[in-house]
Amino acid sequence: MNPLHARYPFFDGAREAVEASGVALPTLIADDAPAVARGRERVERALLSGTTESETPREWSTQDELLSYPIARILVSLIDAPAAVRKYAAAEAATAADHFAEDFSSTDDGLKSTNQRTVSLDDVLREFDLADDVIAEPPERGRDPDWFRVALGSYLTLSNADWGDGWRLVNREVVDGAVRVERADLTRLLREAVERRVADGLPFQVRGTAGGDAIADSLESEIGTLRDLLADRRDVRQIDTVAPDLFPPCMSHLLDRVRRDNELDAHSTFALTAFLTGIGMDTDEVVQFYRDTTLDEETIRYQTEYLRDDTGAQFAAPTCATMQAYGDCVNKDERCETIAHPMSYYEKALDEADDVREWREA
Amino acid sequence: MDARTREYLKGRFGDYYRRAVVTPPPDADAREWGYIPWTAGAGTTMVRHESLLNLGHIGDFLAREAPRHAYFSAARYTDPSANAMSDKDWRSADLVFDLDADHIPAIDPEGTSYKGMLTACKQSLLSLLDILEDDFAFEELEIVFSGGRGYHVHVRDEGVRELDSEARREIVDYIRAIDLDVDGLVRTRASGPTTQRVLRTEGGWGKRTHDRLLAFVDELQSMTEEEALERLQELDGIGEGRATTILGAFERNPQAIETGNVEAGGPGLRMLVEALAHEVVEDQTAPIDEPVTTDLRRLIRLPGSLHGGTGFEVQRIERDAVDEFDPLVDAVPDRFTGREIRIDAAEQGTVDLLGERTNIEPGVNTVRECVGVFLMARGDAEKAKE
Repeated sequence: MNPLHARYPFFDGAREAVEASGVALPTLIADDAPAVARGRERVERALLSGTTESETPREWSTQDELLSYPIARILVSLIDAPAAVRKYAAAEAATAADHFAEDFSSTDDGLKSTNQRTVSLDDVLREFDLADDVIAEPPERGRDPDWFRVALGSYLTLSNADWGDGWRLVNREVVDGAVRVERADLTRLLREAVERRVADGLPFQVRGTAGGDAIADSLESEIGTLRDLLADRRDVRQIDTVAPDLFPPCMSHLLDRVRRDNELDAHSTFALTAFLTGIGMDTDEVVQFYRDTTLDEETIRYQTEYLRDDTGAQFAAPTCATMQAYGDCVNKDERCETIAHPMSYYEKALDEADDVREWREA
Repeated sequence: MDARTREYLKGRFGDYYRRAVVTPPPDADAREWGYIPWTAGAGTTMVRHESLLNLGHIGDFLAREAPRHAYFSAARYTDPSANAMSDKDWRSADLVFDLDADHIPAIDPEGTSYKGMLTACKQSLLSLLDILEDDFAFEELEIVFSGGRGYHVHVRDEGVRELDSEARREIVDYIRAIDLDVDGLVRTRASGPTTQRVLRTEGGWGKRTHDRLLAFVDELQSMTEEEALERLQELDGIGEGRATTILGAFERNPQAIETGNVEAGGPGLRMLVEALAHEVVEDQTAPIDEPVTTDLRRLIRLPGSLHGGTGFEVQRIERDAVDEFDPLVDAVPDRFTGREIRIDAAEQGTVDLLGERTNIEPGVNTVRECVGVFLMARGDAEKAKE
């Protein structure tokens, strides 16, 4: 088993390795093999944290890691939501981009790989059929090239004008059919290439055959949990009032814990941040709100940005059912009996309150 | 247009097509075809969603139908004759540019003669080709006189055929310098412990601005110091002090300017660069019509066909013939030059074709056939009885 394939499971070679391994995914799933757990982690981490890196990398063998990728693709297909595909592909790409950065800097000149465990820039360009389309300029000093020329068609295909004015073709040095980019920009383009490859073919039809139905049935509980992470979207009335006194008990509890214990697991931080975002707080406000805690500002910023997707819609906070499942539903009061969502609790509380103390005016 | 005129033009278009050799575009079988027939009334009905399978050999079809206008799609489809766009299965499309006198900002359509419009359009065509060839290095270019008031360029390079609409818009914006960040043409580069401001000289609008700057420096060097200082002070925001600093920088360190280093000339030099950038944009952009380029399913006039609004040939132009090309001579079909016909003109006017000026009086005139066809096609005359 080539560790490189586990590191870059979307490479063509990795897919071939999975096929050549003779491992049958249905068997793996039926046996609830470690690769299935790792596959679920891949998707879960993708949806919650924007990465597919494992939190417990030592737990998994190279083979688990490699096989978890096709499993994750099955899971994402079964979730069957455009946002799931988008966020999963983006997370695989972000993770790959981190790996590229490590690998490129560990290779001597960034151009040739020195061992089997890392890739070189040339390897990646070849993988994405870009070898002829990306030419390094001779470096001004040192050995690593700083500038590259990307063929016009490839540049326009991979880049996106929405990334900023600097990406607009009109603001680029275009010469002889190629666009000049710096190393960091090239990495951004490669990340996009990964994202597209991962998203390609997703979601696919899993059910419909006896084998497919069996897979889908075995994964039902995983899908339920994952879908909850995502599908806790609902039409939320536009709220733009921050009144901590009126927060539902679960959120007040999480807030207490984060302030007192300075520690929350990922699910709980996500739930609280999603709630705060949902009631109209922007990133800076959320950061401000957490200022007395040890929560890492970068993480909060990332999470808040991430909670808004491209369409402007947001991930709503988890439902009461999900809060219960994670053991975060505590101190239920009378109002809790009348609602199924922490946001509904807060809406009602706002409606019924005589005097609302706005945190932002404190 | 009355029935006699319509019949006449249709008949003569048919005569033209029976002799003409119309070379279809590459992958003709994968294109959608369309045409506008000679029908009565003001409304024009385009027949589209046709494939060569339906129409047959394109030359035979044109000779038989003698349409008023003929088009093919920039796109290639799996099933070009499917009626719904979504069923055609789009595969790729030529990158098409359209220059039309209507869209050239410097031209007032009311006050400019047809000839004047075509001349201005040719200038824009040359600017466009300059960018397509130098910056983009496209190799498979087909340049076409539209038969009306402008030019089309079809680009068929492999690398751009599959670009989506947004990517094509980026190309349009580049050519028109839309949203160009003029301040961004100068970037800050680390140079040891300090930083330097340098023009982006390797390509794009930065390089074009740099080329202009070098030409400007040459211009100044051919002057006396007094003249040079005066020339600089013609620019907005540059007074005597800044002009002296700029000139000093040019003299002390000409290599710096050569490499795009604009640090030494102070803020005055950066203002000069900005002014030159605006001039370059003014002179070198081409006012292409955006929707034509970004529409992946557009129908474009077929080269070799006749334009029903002028009677001119929609004509391919070899690259090295562009400079010399004169649409009012070269696009006039030979078929319509051999005899004279009688037409009934509505108003007085003049027509310049084939290097001859024809004066038209209201009422019946006897004119060279191409002049008559031109006026009838434009709706300025009807066919008179011979």
